[in-house]
This record gives sequence, structure tokens and C-alpha cells, in this order.
Amino acid sequence: MKTQHIISWILQLVIIAVLIPSAYMKLTGAPDSVSIFTQLGMEPYGRYIIGFLEASACLLLVTPNSAAHGSLLTICIMLGAALAHLTKIGFNSSSCFSCLVILIISAIVTYLRRMQIKSIARMLN
Amino acid sequence: MAASVDLHKISRFANIAIPLLAVIFFFGGHFIHFYIHFLTVVFIILTVINIFYLHIQKKHTILRNFGILGQARYMLESIGPEMRQYLFASDTEERPFNRVERSEIYRKSKGIDSASSFGSQMDFDNSEVKIRHSMYPVDKQDIKPFSLTFGEERGVKETYTITKPYLISAMSYGALGKNAIQALARGARLAGIPMNTGEGGIPKYHMEEGGELVFQIGTAKFGVRNDDSSLNQEKLIKLCTDPSIKMIEIKLSQGAKPGKGGLLPKEKITEEISKLRGVPQGEDVISPAHHIECTSKQTTVAFIKHVQDTVDIPVGIKLCMGKTSEFRDMVKEMKNQQVYPDFIAIDGAEGGTGAAPKAFMDGYGMPLYASLFAANQILTEQGVRDKLKLLASGKLINSSKQFVALALGADAIYNARGFMLSLGCIQAMLCGNNTCPVGITTHDPALQKGLIVEQKAQRIANYVKGLEYDFYEMLAASGIRDAKDLNIEQLYIPNDTALADQITTLLSTTK
Ligand SMILES: Cc1cc2nc3c(=O)[nH]c(=O)nc-3n(C[C@H](O)[C@H](O)[C@H](O)COP(=O)(O)O)c2cc1C
Repeated sequence: MKTQHIISWILQLVIIAVLIPSAYMKLTGAPDSVSIFTQLGMEPYGRYIIGFLEASACLLLVTPNSAAHGSLLTICIMLGAALAHLTKIGFNSSSCFSCLVILIISAIVTYLRRMQIKSIARMLN
Repeated sequence: MAASVDLHKISRFANIAIPLLAVIFFFGGHFIHFYIHFLTVVFIILTVINIFYLHIQKKHTILRNFGILGQARYMLESIGPEMRQYLFASDTEERPFNRVERSEIYRKSKGIDSASSFGSQMDFDNSEVKIRHSMYPVDKQDIKPFSLTFGEERGVKETYTITKPYLISAMSYGALGKNAIQALARGARLAGIPMNTGEGGIPKYHMEEGGELVFQIGTAKFGVRNDDSSLNQEKLIKLCTDPSIKMIEIKLSQGAKPGKGGLLPKEKITEEISKLRGVPQGEDVISPAHHIECTSKQTTVAFIKHVQDTVDIPVGIKLCMGKTSEFRDMVKEMKNQQVYPDFIAIDGAEGGTGAAPKAFMDGYGMPLYASLFAANQILTEQGVRDKLKLLASGKLINSSKQFVALALGADAIYNARGFMLSLGCIQAMLCGNNTCPVGITTHDPALQKGLIVEQKAQRIANYVKGLEYDFYEMLAASGIRDAKDLNIEQLYIPNDTALADQITTLLSTTK
């Protein structure tokens, strides 16, 4: 129980370490972000929305009772990113790799913290 | 066939529709606009969750059969009690206390006039005991002020006198959180009534408030125990040097779980509680079903004597009646040994508790009115009614029920849940879970935060004031000048009540 807690906290911090710069770039309109969202046809509002969601996920991840909500939100964001890479941007950037890693880590956190969301806990016994 | 919702059909449809929608939205996102992928993502997640529900988890039948729509059932179920309480239950429908009863207490506690209009919502057929008034009411100033002295019969060194017919019944620190205890203790002092400490060990927070206390010795003897649950005399003597301890109550049994010991769930055992009670942390604490000293009528009466010899203050017992014959035998044994408790508190089977097995809460013990009548009758028949005081508890939260109990032979009223309601209890029925939403039966600081001690203490005092006002009004209406003259003649008892039944049975077996 205790070790699970510690592992989960470490993984949460890893996610946050990736999300914070990413949210910052989107919200401040860094050229890279702008070009990606232009490709997706979502400039500028989509960029703001995703940036805002990423920041919210960070907040949830540091709130002890809402870590599962945060990781679930991260999964959604990363799924969206994966769709973007799959259909519009292509696989050749490093952000594609980190997106998959974060997706997996978030899934692990959600699993470790599954007791926080009853409907998730009921997915397994 | 009548139109009905076939949940199975709908959920089968949903289970196909969810992944299908995920695919449709995917194409939408790809060919129309990327924004549509927000929906794609949601439906992918739903699809994954649904696969787990339907095929991987094995514990929840509903989810395995119906998938994600079955989840709605859990949601409805979890808000069911609130929905019923706030939307669908009528004012006289809820248990243990319906809204009419509760709001009388809320109003008294807030000092609001509790007059109501148009008519009573209670039953007037043959199910409720009513009070007979007199054609010649007396003036309130002619009524003798209430006064009751415990221990006078036995001539104890430090007798204890109450001037209001109310005592706060046992609720331990442990079952209740710190704020609730402080508010009750302070409120009791403001109101000028004593408070029973419950079987929570050393009553630290009670004593801090400086009120008058009845210390309860539970079957595990928390606070005054040896490791084998027997009484540690030195600890008891030491505790009784505190001037706030006015009486001792030996708890033999309790209405909510007669014949069963107490149960303190491990979630509620904080470090402090384990210290005050003298028990380890991390496991449920189960009190034995009886005092280790008390295995028969002889040893029980001897134990009462033992405690009476140990301290200089009145010593009484609390019990829920099971077999009237056992009670009669015990009274005979008291005569035999010439030992009488200074009071007997009769707790009705309808009594409350922090935690008790359902079977005991619902199925065991005699209800209050019947057992109170029986106790009074047996003590009278044995000629020892004047050797002790009789107290009563069991849903006696409002003036008229209390008056009925007084007429049935009680000298004063024990009341627990009435005071909880006065503290703001909304009857969420979560006392054993440490999640009491109004911070009364919880040790969670976040939940206790809402319970402001100063405020609620005043509510307690107001409640007692309201009850006392009614008490004298009712004595006046019944034409009674001294509460001691109250008797069963004051009551109208329909034939179909448990009380009437008990009266017939008892009178026919003893005559
Ligand atoms: C939360 C709670 C805790 C209680 N703790 C004790 C206790 O420690 N010892 C005891 O003898 N009775 C205990 N009781 C029972 C009450 O003292 C009382 O006998 C019973 O609730 C009937 O009174 P009422 O209907 O006025 O609540 C407790 C009741 C409640 C609701």
C-alpha cells in the first residue's frame, strides 16, 4: 500500500514535469505550438483549450484526493494528441514518443489511484 | 403488454452504440474538423471502460450484464437516501425520527416558537398513547419546582440533586467527535443538566467544560479497567476525586444492542482515544457482552455493592429489559442482599447507537413504554420502588413522549439523540462510518470544522429551556402540582399498543 503510494507520487510528478512546459508553451503561444495547432486547424482557441486542460490536469495531480481525476484527464489529452499524430502531424517528432510514454504512465497512475473514482475501481475487482 | 423499459435491450444497444460512435466521431474528426476528436476521445475512454465492465471484472453482476448503463444504478442508489429524504418522503414517514419530530427539536434549539397550525399530523386511531388533560388545569406558579435527589435513600455521602427532569444520555467520546462532546458538555452546563460520559474512558473533554457528569462504566470498563476488563478500583477512586463526576452508571445493557457488547470501528480509534480508553489502535474494539464480574443475579448485585462501596457518590445501573422474569428475580436478589442501585435507567429497544449489528438493532429487546411500565410495576410489587430512582430513555426527544414516560413511572428522562438533533444532526445515519456530514459522529477535522462549539452549546441550552417550558405547561394542563404525582391515570392507552399488551400480561400474571 505504502510503496504503491510512493510510486504513484513519483509518476504523478513525472507527468507534471512534462505537462507544465507543454501547457506554458501553448498558453504563451510559442511558435512550435502555434504551428502544430495551425496544422490541426485549431488556432488559436484549440491551443488555449488544450493548454488550459493540461494546466488543470497538473492541479488535479497534486491534489491528493483527485490524482486519479488528473491522470484520467491526462489520458484524454494524450489520446487526443495521439490522434493528432496519427492523422495529421505524423510520427516523426519526439513529442509523439513522449505522448505515448505519458499515456502509459497516466494509465498506471489511474490504476494505482483507482479507489478515488468508484466507476474506475469497478472496472477491476 | 404495457409499455415498459427493457433495460437489457437499451443497454445492449448502448454497448454497441458507444464503440460505433467512437468510430463515427473519429471519421468526423478526420474529415470535418479536428474539434470533433474531443468526442472521439471521450467515446474511446467509454469503450475501454465498458469492455472492462462487461468482460474483465467479475464482482459486479449488474455491470457485467448491462455495462456502463448499469453504472447509473449505482449513482441513483448512492443518492437515494437524500432523494427520499428531501423529495419523496412525507413528513411523518421517516425513521427513526420523522421530519415533524425533528423540526420540533430544531425549532426549540434555535429558540423559535414551535407552535404549529391547522392540525396534527400524528395518528389518532389506536396506535398512539395520548395524555389526558384535566378539566381543572392548575396555575403554573402553583406547581412545585422539579427536584430529584439521587442517593438519598441509601444516604450516600455526596448525594446529587437535579432540578430539571433531563439528563444527556450516554454517548462516548469515540462515538462522538471532540467538537460534539465539547458542545454537549458546554451546553449541558449552560442548561444546568448533567451529562452521561458514555463508555469512552477518561472523560477528558467533558471535564474541561466544567459541567456535571455521570460517569459510565461500560462492560469493557474503558478508563477504569484492568487488562482482563475487570474493574480497577484505584483508577475509579482516582477518577472520582474530580468534582465534576457526580454519579456512576454501570451499563449492563443498551437498547440498541441488548446482550451484545459495544463496537468501536478501528477507523474511529485515534491515538488519543486509544489512550483515554486504554486499548490498542488499528483493530476494532469489541466490548464484552457482560461485565466479567456479572454472571448471575447474585454476582451482578454484588458488583453494584462493590462499586457503591468504592465511591462516595450515587451508583446506578442502565439496562434494556429482555425478560421481565429476570428483572423480577434481580429485584428480589437486591432485597435479599439489601443492596439497591441508586437509580435504574431503562433503555428501550428503540434506542440509538454509534454502531451495532442490524439484527440486534432491529430485533432485540423490549420497547421503552412497555419495559418502563414493567420495571415500575415490578419494583412497586416488590415494595422497593422507593429505594431508588427510575430513569428512562428511548426516543424520548420531545415533550409529549417525555411526559408519557414520566407518567409511566420514570423520575427523569435520559435523552441522547434529541441532543444530537439539537447539535444539528440531519439523520444521515452514518454514525459508524466516521463520515458524519455534520461533524458530530466523526473525528475528521474537515467535517468537524462546521460544528462551532459555542453556537451549538447555546442550541443545547435552548432545547432544554424549550422542553422545560413545555413540561410545566403540561403539568398545569394535567392539573398536577408536583411531578411526583404523575401516574398512569394521566394516560390514554389504546388497546392495540405494545404498552396495553404489557399491562394486561403483567397484571394478569402477578395477580
Ligand atoms: C452515537 C451514540 C452513541 C452512544 N453511545 C452509548 C454508550 O457509549 N453507552 C451507552 O450506554 N449508550 C450509548 N448510546 C445509547 C444512548 O445512550 C441511549 O440509550 C439511546 O440512544 C436511547 O436514547 P435516545 O432515543 O434518546 O437516543 C449511544 C447512542 C448514540 C446515538
